Amino acid sequence: MKSNPKAYKQPKRGRGIYGGGKHGAGNKGSGQRQNFMRLGYETGNNPFYLRVPKEPYYKGHHLKREYPPISLLQLQTMIDTGRVDPSKPLDLVALCNSKLFLLSPLEKQFGFQLTDEGLDNFKGKVNIEVQHASEQVIAAIERNGGVITTAFYDPVSLLAMRDPMKFFISGIPIPKRQTPPEDAIEYYTDPRNRGYLADPDLVALERFKLAQKYGYELPDLKNDPELAMLLERKDPRQIFYGLNPGWVVNLKDKKIFEPEDEKLLEYYKT
Amino acid sequence: MAVLNNFSSFRRILINSSSSRAYLSGFKSSITLEKLYPSSRLDITTIPKAPESKDGKFSGYIPMDKIQISYARSSGPGGQNVNCVSTKAEIRFHLASAEWIPEPVRVKLAEKLKNQLSKEGYFIVKSDRTRSQHLNLADTLDKLRDLIQSTAQSLVIPEISPETVERQRRLRERAARERLREKRAHSMTKQGRQSPTLDS
Repeated sequence: MKSNPKAYKQPKRGRGIYGGGKHGAGNKGSGQRQNFMRLGYETGNNPFYLRVPKEPYYKGHHLKREYPPISLLQLQTMIDTGRVDPSKPLDLVALCNSKLFLLSPLEKQFGFQLTDEGLDNFKGKVNIEVQHASEQVIAAIERNGGVITTAFYDPVSLLAMRDPMKFFISGIPIPKRQTPPEDAIEYYTDPRNRGYLADPDLVALERFKLAQKYGYELPDLKNDPELAMLLERKDPRQIFYGLNPGWVVNLKDKKIFEPEDEKLLEYYKT
Repeated sequence: MAVLNNFSSFRRILINSSSSRAYLSGFKSSITLEKLYPSSRLDITTIPKAPESKDGKFSGYIPMDKIQISYARSSGPGGQNVNCVSTKAEIRFHLASAEWIPEPVRVKLAEKLKNQLSKEGYFIVKSDRTRSQHLNLADTLDKLRDLIQSTAQSLVIPEISPETVERQRRLRERAARERLREKRAHSMTKQGRQSPTLDS
């Protein structure tokens, strides 16, 4: 089996009267004696690589987390057109299941952020969980009687969440969600950001303060018929609503398996 | 994941797929909110009581049902958006009957804003700073709060300690003494420029 002759160049071998002899190194000098100057050396003057300072444009870029945006306008459109069901809690899984947004955890994407485009016309009442949201977005959600939470998911959990069907088919037990890294703990424990690790009593106080800041009467959720749905939250170690870490979901036989071993149960519970 | 490869057996659980909502796992790990905040009531629905404005101090609370909010179109450039969308926020309230502002502050405000009140005695705050109606409303409330707070602040007489009063008195007396000393010296200089007479 041979490729066509023009596909690659034949190597030129150094043999015979015209091709061989000096190993391509010429006559005498530092070249033939293999005593070259170091790369970048400019025979004594200050070389370019030392003269010109470097600008750390991409320093730490591999450590920076990205949050692809979803605007309030897009969210309202999805609710209106039925791409997303506001009668159930919305999280990353629900948003990915709409097939309108795709997350690439391998490209340092750690979830979605809710942006304020369409802020004025947002009328949806939802229980939504995103990874980042600004103050006015939180106000817009709460003004309409909804609940917003910001939560962290590690890349392993994200790979499971962005395509749950594919994950269940793989037969891997549901992983437990890791805690946020050091630089993110402050964000997710702050009630002002509605962090999932924040004290709910302080969150209630911040809801009141935000209503005063943005000029709306804080809706009384206690009298809401959808209270149970609005207050539904995942445990900090949980990835899917209603499913525990460690469980294996068998879609074909419609069965769920859980581990019996004590060590495993201990591992998934801590 | 190495731990998981060594598991010995699984127990089967049958789940009715139609009533998935009814079966909630109720999973509680070691870092649930109950464990992180043991003394908390874990209730985000509680609405705290509005802080009262008493003793002439403004608490910062503005009752939304006591003010009238209206929206209008903003001014300035912006094409179709500025022509069609009502982004300017305006709040108005009757200043004399605003019970939520402490009495002395209300009186001071009425005097300060007497040229700005409408014929019926309504005070109006407007904002068209941003492109968003809600952000402009927040801006108007911020302006109003700032105005009331600065007025309340100006009414507060700061307590001066007796040491400071004493020090101020001493400094004033020293300044007066210096002034008189310089005055006398200047007077002598001027007298010295006169030609001497037979009497002196």
